[in-house]
Amino acid sequence: MALSKDIYAAFEDVVGPEYISNDPAMMPAYHQIQFAAIILPQNTAEVQAIVKLCNKYKLTFRAVCTGWTGMFPPDIIYLDLRRMNRIVEINEKNMYAVVEPYVITAQLQAELFKRGLHMNLKGAGSNCTAMLRGHGHLDQTTSGDDRNHLAIEWVTPEGNLVHSGAAGSVDEWFCGDGPGPSLRSILTSAVPPGVTPGVFTKAAIKLYHWPGPTKFPIQGTSPNYYLSEIPPNFMARYYSFPSVEKMWNAEIKLGENEICFELMGFNVSMVAANITTSNEEDERVFKQMNKEVQGPGFFVIIAGNSAADFEYKRKVLELIVSENDGKSLKSVEDPRIEGILICQCIRISASIRETFRAGGAFNSIPVMGQRDLTIRWAVGAGKAKEPLIEKGHIVPDGGAFFGWGVEQGHLGKTEIFCKFDPANPEAKEAVEKWQREQIKRAFDERYFAMTMGPQDEIGPALANYHLWWKKVTDAIDPNKTSPDAGALV
Amino acid sequence: MGLEQYKGDMGMCCRCSCCKFIPMQQVQGHQFSTVCPSISRFDFHAYSGGGRLNIGTAMLGDSLNYTQKLLHIVYNCQMCGACGVSCNYAMDMEVQEPLNQIRIKCVLDGKTDPALEKVIKGLRKQGSMVPARGRRGAWAAGLKLKNISRDKVDVLFHVGCLTSYDKDMHKLARATAKILKKAGVNFGIAGDKEACCGGRAYQMGYEKDFLRQAKKNMAMIKKSGVSTVVTVCADGYQAFKVLYDKFGLKKDLEVLHISEYVDRLIKGGKIKLRKKIDMAVTYHDPCRLGRMGEPWIHWKGKKIPGDRFVFDPPKEYRRGSNGVYDPPRDVLKNIAGLKLTEMTRIKEYAWCCGAGGGVNESNPEFAMWTARERIEEAASTGAEAIVTACPWCEKTFNEAVNESGSNLKVYDIVELVESAL
Repeated sequence: MALSKDIYAAFEDVVGPEYISNDPAMMPAYHQIQFAAIILPQNTAEVQAIVKLCNKYKLTFRAVCTGWTGMFPPDIIYLDLRRMNRIVEINEKNMYAVVEPYVITAQLQAELFKRGLHMNLKGAGSNCTAMLRGHGHLDQTTSGDDRNHLAIEWVTPEGNLVHSGAAGSVDEWFCGDGPGPSLRSILTSAVPPGVTPGVFTKAAIKLYHWPGPTKFPIQGTSPNYYLSEIPPNFMARYYSFPSVEKMWNAEIKLGENEICFELMGFNVSMVAANITTSNEEDERVFKQMNKEVQGPGFFVIIAGNSAADFEYKRKVLELIVSENDGKSLKSVEDPRIEGILICQCIRISASIRETFRAGGAFNSIPVMGQRDLTIRWAVGAGKAKEPLIEKGHIVPDGGAFFGWGVEQGHLGKTEIFCKFDPANPEAKEAVEKWQREQIKRAFDERYFAMTMGPQDEIGPALANYHLWWKKVTDAIDPNKTSPDAGALV
Repeated sequence: MGLEQYKGDMGMCCRCSCCKFIPMQQVQGHQFSTVCPSISRFDFHAYSGGGRLNIGTAMLGDSLNYTQKLLHIVYNCQMCGACGVSCNYAMDMEVQEPLNQIRIKCVLDGKTDPALEKVIKGLRKQGSMVPARGRRGAWAAGLKLKNISRDKVDVLFHVGCLTSYDKDMHKLARATAKILKKAGVNFGIAGDKEACCGGRAYQMGYEKDFLRQAKKNMAMIKKSGVSTVVTVCADGYQAFKVLYDKFGLKKDLEVLHISEYVDRLIKGGKIKLRKKIDMAVTYHDPCRLGRMGEPWIHWKGKKIPGDRFVFDPPKEYRRGSNGVYDPPRDVLKNIAGLKLTEMTRIKEYAWCCGAGGGVNESNPEFAMWTARERIEEAASTGAEAIVTACPWCEKTFNEAVNESGSNLKVYDIVELVESAL
């Protein structure tokens, strides 16, 4: 649906002619979809004005950050938030940073390192917005999801401006729940359709203590970056275990002792992907590592605040691993590999090497819940991958899954995916079938998979949350301008 | 095959946006973390490496028509290759090659930029990418240099269009000649008969014009019997070293940039830099000496059917790892008194000067915008001067400095070497 000249001009008046386009040449670059217009606002006031025009003209919109993910209907107003890329504040004393949507994690993290601080790094990667909600490598010590959002600036689907938490009361952003209005249940994510309608234009991110260097001593040229030395009081190891039970027991003990900076339940195929620079090398290294491991495992980074603290953590780590018959992967003990993994897993999350490099696509099922239970589900989902591997539909990874403890392990995330070539229709169909079946299994066994849907099916299993959510969205978005949400992709 | 051969590569784009930034591990803060001038200036995703690949995919179908906006997107890119380096940190796919093919397709379809058309007409008529005023070899007046058309020499000093015809750049050619003479190198020039390397024509999408120049140059080189070509221009270096090889024309010709050659001369004891230059400098890696200057890798193969984007035989990608990064730095470190401080964006992820890909001609304002960003970055190091190794960079930086009122000095590396001799 093309916008009339008048409506186009109304949007143009808001952002100027340079920052709006409905040219057909522009559309394939975004998502191969014909949008009514692509608009690039530069501040909150412009977002509000655009959203109000959407209400006036009964248009739907979606706001997008770096644009890594998303399914988009045609004819919407596509808000590309690229120009909203300012770090508004880094409050060292109260340990939060306020950012606009197009500040990427790598930028904010680098600024934080200079101040002895860091933040949660989402699995989507440091190339994505720092405002992204989600989980990642550092969940063990930095928690995940909405736990890291403090006060938020939100343009509602009607174009009103809301400051949640402390920002709603004073010009500080230290808390999402007050002394201003607590809107935690509305400014949510997790349950499909995913995120709150409207646009988050600023968010305060919770910060954590960083025991590492102000910057990593990187040597070499891309893609062969390595560290000239392991930062003082840092160590990375990969441990494999004879059984899932022993791995889990070690994982929970490490959480109880609070000694890991990062605990990532990698499988070795992901370790191989991280440390290699091409698909061929990846395949070779995976085969070699797969022979070295005795079973499932995890990757650990410990980081001491002092030599004594590091030594204590190292000893506890080795004791717990030993008590559970864990075995260290020798390749990772090589300081060059160890350094690559420390830097990759803290600075990048390496998700592109792990996921897209092989075939160009992956389909995933992330499951939240108690790790020991969700691992059981994932073992089954991994078994179900085996026929696809045998047929050559997906990249061989030993049926592996991965995951990690959140907040020292009292909660956890487990995930499993298939990497494949999307240009191969047979492979695509087989992967989608696997995904459907395993999501159903998760649902039947009462695990919560984030890719579940539709709401009408899973809502009853979640205290009829979907009915309440619909009432909320009907109230805050009466004109249905933001039906698919997607404020933080 | 043209663009079609990169259909699979273009389809691999996962829209991660890494092509907009320097490699994530190298990000040192909010400032100076972007790598692509085009998306940084024009903001719409279409102006990024990934956006361009998606457009390339659409161009292979029949639903995308040429519009003014499409041509604006296509021609407002310095073809600097930075997007490809950031992409290829993690991904196995061609980025720069499909971007070249998009331009070549536009030219073949007659969808060109008027400013670039004018430049190419000049090339066809006068053999130069810049207006040819006076004699091409006039810069060498009084130097009594050997000429490859009459003298037997080992090394051809290929000067390049800008250095030959822009009087402000003659100093680079004369400095280079002085250095080579001092080292006792048996070198010659082609003087008035020197032909444009064709590299910038290729960047603009004019493949046939590039090939005509390449063949002309290689015929002259073959006739002269020289075994080595030394260039003072990064565009010339990339043309002889990489593009001629890509099209099977280079054969066993040795191609060196003057910074590599001087480095070799210093390390071989042929010249000594005796004079002290007390100055704080920073070094700018020209795109076509750095990431785009890495050797061509000949490969022919087929995708292996199955789960991965892999080929038989395995494909080795040019990821920017093997550009010329250390030799110019080693040369600068050999000059007593010179204090070299690095910028944030260096080597394979250096920010472009702005002049490449025809942008200097088609959109000078954008070229200046890009150069100003680099000048600001250079100034942030505390350096008194930015040193580069390409006349196009020097020219663009000088213009940006003059325009912005910066007091930063701009030098080519050969000027400092000459002063230190």
